[in-house]
Amino acid sequence: MKVMGVGGGSREHALAEAIARSNHEPKIFWVSEDRNPGIYRLVKRTRGEYALARITDPLKVASLAEQWGVDMVVIGPEEPNFHGVVDEVERRGIPCIGARRRLSILEMSKAEMRRIQWRYGIGGKLLFKTYRSYMEAIRDLEKHSELLSWLQNVALKPARQAGGKGVKVIEDVQVYLHGEKSRFKQRHMRWLEDYMSGYTDIEDKILVEERVWGPEYTLQCFVDGRTVIGMPLVQDNKHAHEYDIGPETGGMGSYTGKGLLLPFITREEYERSLSIVKSMIDAVQRETDERYHGFVAGQMMLTEIEGPTLIEMYSRLGDPEGVNVLAMLETDIIDIFEAIIDERLSAVKIRFSEVATVVKAVAPKGYPDFRDLARDHLVEVNEALVEKLGCRLYWGSAHLDESGRVLTRGSRVVELLAFGETPHEASQRIEDCLAGDVVRLLDGWGLFHRSDIGSEEMIRKRTEIAERVRRLYTYRERMGILGKRVDWIPRIGKIDPVKELSHELFSRVGGGSYESG
Amino acid sequence: MPGLIGIYPFGLGRENWRLARFVYYGLLALQHRGQELAAIITYGDEGFHKLSREGFVDEAFTENDLNAMPGFIGMGYVAPSKDQHPVFVESPVRMILIGDGKPGFGNGVQDSWRAFGELLADEISRVGDSLKAARQVVEEVDGGYSFMALTEDQELIAGRDIHGVKPLEIGSLGFDLGAVVSESSALDVLGMEHIAHIEPGEVVRFDPYSIERSRVKPHSRLNMSKCSFEYVYLARPDSIIDGISVYSVRERIGMILAKERPAEADVVIGIPETAIPFSLGYSRASGIPASLGFVTTGRKVRTAIKPSIFERLMGVQLKLNPIRCAMDGKDIVLIDDSVVRGTTLRNTVWNMKRRGARRIHVRIGSPAIMAPCPYGIEIPPPDELIARALDEREIAEVVGADSFAFLSIDGLCRAIGLEKGELCLKCWGCEKR
Repeated sequence: MKVMGVGGGSREHALAEAIARSNHEPKIFWVSEDRNPGIYRLVKRTRGEYALARITDPLKVASLAEQWGVDMVVIGPEEPNFHGVVDEVERRGIPCIGARRRLSILEMSKAEMRRIQWRYGIGGKLLFKTYRSYMEAIRDLEKHSELLSWLQNVALKPARQAGGKGVKVIEDVQVYLHGEKSRFKQRHMRWLEDYMSGYTDIEDKILVEERVWGPEYTLQCFVDGRTVIGMPLVQDNKHAHEYDIGPETGGMGSYTGKGLLLPFITREEYERSLSIVKSMIDAVQRETDERYHGFVAGQMMLTEIEGPTLIEMYSRLGDPEGVNVLAMLETDIIDIFEAIIDERLSAVKIRFSEVATVVKAVAPKGYPDFRDLARDHLVEVNEALVEKLGCRLYWGSAHLDESGRVLTRGSRVVELLAFGETPHEASQRIEDCLAGDVVRLLDGWGLFHRSDIGSEEMIRKRTEIAERVRRLYTYRERMGILGKRVDWIPRIGKIDPVKELSHELFSRVGGGSYESG
Repeated sequence: MPGLIGIYPFGLGRENWRLARFVYYGLLALQHRGQELAAIITYGDEGFHKLSREGFVDEAFTENDLNAMPGFIGMGYVAPSKDQHPVFVESPVRMILIGDGKPGFGNGVQDSWRAFGELLADEISRVGDSLKAARQVVEEVDGGYSFMALTEDQELIAGRDIHGVKPLEIGSLGFDLGAVVSESSALDVLGMEHIAHIEPGEVVRFDPYSIERSRVKPHSRLNMSKCSFEYVYLARPDSIIDGISVYSVRERIGMILAKERPAEADVVIGIPETAIPFSLGYSRASGIPASLGFVTTGRKVRTAIKPSIFERLMGVQLKLNPIRCAMDGKDIVLIDDSVVRGTTLRNTVWNMKRRGARRIHVRIGSPAIMAPCPYGIEIPPPDELIARALDEREIAEVVGADSFAFLSIDGLCRAIGLEKGELCLKCWGCEKR
């Protein structure tokens, strides 16, 4: 059997590894923009082929699949989905594990995802507003900040999925710091508009969402168009630096508990989260009249206002979260892929090992916001020592060149995974491994990772916050006011901010449309 | 016991921040740690900016000062003495250093913070890596201190001595700012998240691209020497120091005091503001109702550490105006946080009796202060400490109370929840073996 993969990061390395473990003895074929040293080795070992190409080019990717005569294609990252790679591969009669273009709107447009969620009345929502320009945002925020008090505490995001970049959370509670914060907010919105002008496939540029707090977790699923099967929960850690400080990244590391749940999420919360993701899949399938085949993930947060809440969606596995679950997966992944293609996933028993996992990303200094600094450093890895110390290494943003050297590409260069009885034990194993200098940049430029991911202290803190939030949302639930927001403005009276959303929900349809383009 | 704050921006648009006002409000929250000198230091496109003034924070700096001060990295400092200025080191590494406590350089060194700054700069230039250098300095220099240095290379380096005498806490704001502060309440005031404390013997470095930590080999718990005075007296009750809530310590002190030194009374009254938590704990454990006994006028003044006797007496008059009906015709447990010279207490007891108080049993929420602090907390000279000269019965006579009792040292340790060996108890006259 011939299996072809698309994408060159650590998640894709983990996918290739899971495929290589299959009893179907697949030959592995791969296409990515840089030559991932880990995937390259698996391709060579199984006597497949590796091509370098633009993975957002549907014709190019589909032609390679045809040329190699593969039996199925698996998409790793999101951008090929957005660009219709799946559609083109399937058009040529080759089964594909990945979301078609119009279905991947769930991830591509954070604004459209939210509109679908509200229109279909799906749980775990957030208030939001979208803007097509910086000036529009400034004017509107000024006009409405009296009327809609939630606009004072917001997350500012690019309206399109943009590699996890550009998200800012601004809580403007202290009147005495208002000047400083609003000045910063304005400058950031101007930056967002500039940044988003590079994307022509969406009209919404800036998304402003209600600020919420609570523990975050990722629920990744297999989908075959009829059935959605949830995997073990993973917690990703988005802040670049120790102590949860610093800019948002694609994820600096992630952990799982033993089994399906995280130590701070209950079974019921898991089920509710799963039902939110299922409803979103149903909704987008109805909107597009297409079938979703592949991976989907809900980036969730337990919030006071809604309980399990959908923050964003992925039309793929998370990175690093995908590495955790793929390492835990016991069922043959090709059996699962075949079941997805035939839409008989409900008949497959999918098993994950009952063990805690931790993944930590290692990145050159400069990541995530100053990637030019993080790029083009020669990197060396002591893989024998990694293995000896009980860890696994997944190559990420790195390129193996013709002469056998590996250069960084500006993002997370490797991810290390370890198993343990507890996340803490696994985390410690990775720390011991990294203390042995297993990853080095030969020019002396610095690397960084987060020592605190999976630590007892971190889990204790997350648990504390989860308990606090749970007390609040279960109370709201008992009182019958879960999801309800209400405000009172002098001389105007009671305001229901949900009613004010109608403009976003109905008059803007087509704003980031999955019908256009 | 100065107060320190450092605020550092990360990521895209980091230079868009103007942090002087953040530092200012952080300093307001730390005002109790030093009322004689205040400094705001920022770093921006044109290098360092520095404003250093005498007096209270809100008087020292004007709106215009804050509006005119650029800079996207901020550092701030309040000190209890006009002579404790931030240290400016010119070479071999240009940086500004602020510190709390006292680095141990022996008696030959006049200005131990200058010596510390120069040593740090030398080591950074010698070792090359400022994190390694700072860890070495912390390993070499004994004493009780925490410090923060901002270098010209935009590195903010903070650390604590190996015994953990002085506190340092860490916080964040959204995806943008990280902060290091003497007390977590400063983070609350800035709307920041309180995340963790820096460990004893640990140094942390913020640079534009990373946060890195390094720790002198972990010492056994018995080598710790956390300042107990912080918990009893210095810190704000809404602060959390090394994971321990200051308010809960003070409430437990009151409860322990009620068990150790019970008294028959109609009401428990705490002297504002620091002794209120003690009085609530005492009331809860004894079953005697607590009452508000005094209202204060003017700003909070720390009478025990005010320099001159004149200012001290003025402090008392302004600080404590009795509420008559709370004490008229009643037997009272009166709780204060400490007794240094007894002056404040004598005035207070006299005032209360004039307002109709019958019996007054004075209880102190700390052990007797017996010795100077080797780490820079300003305590009057030994010959001015009443507890060194008189026993409890005699102090009662002097201040005009019906009984008088200190908290025991064991009681203090139990209230904090740490072993004797983990705390610095030197000011209570308790030396380590």
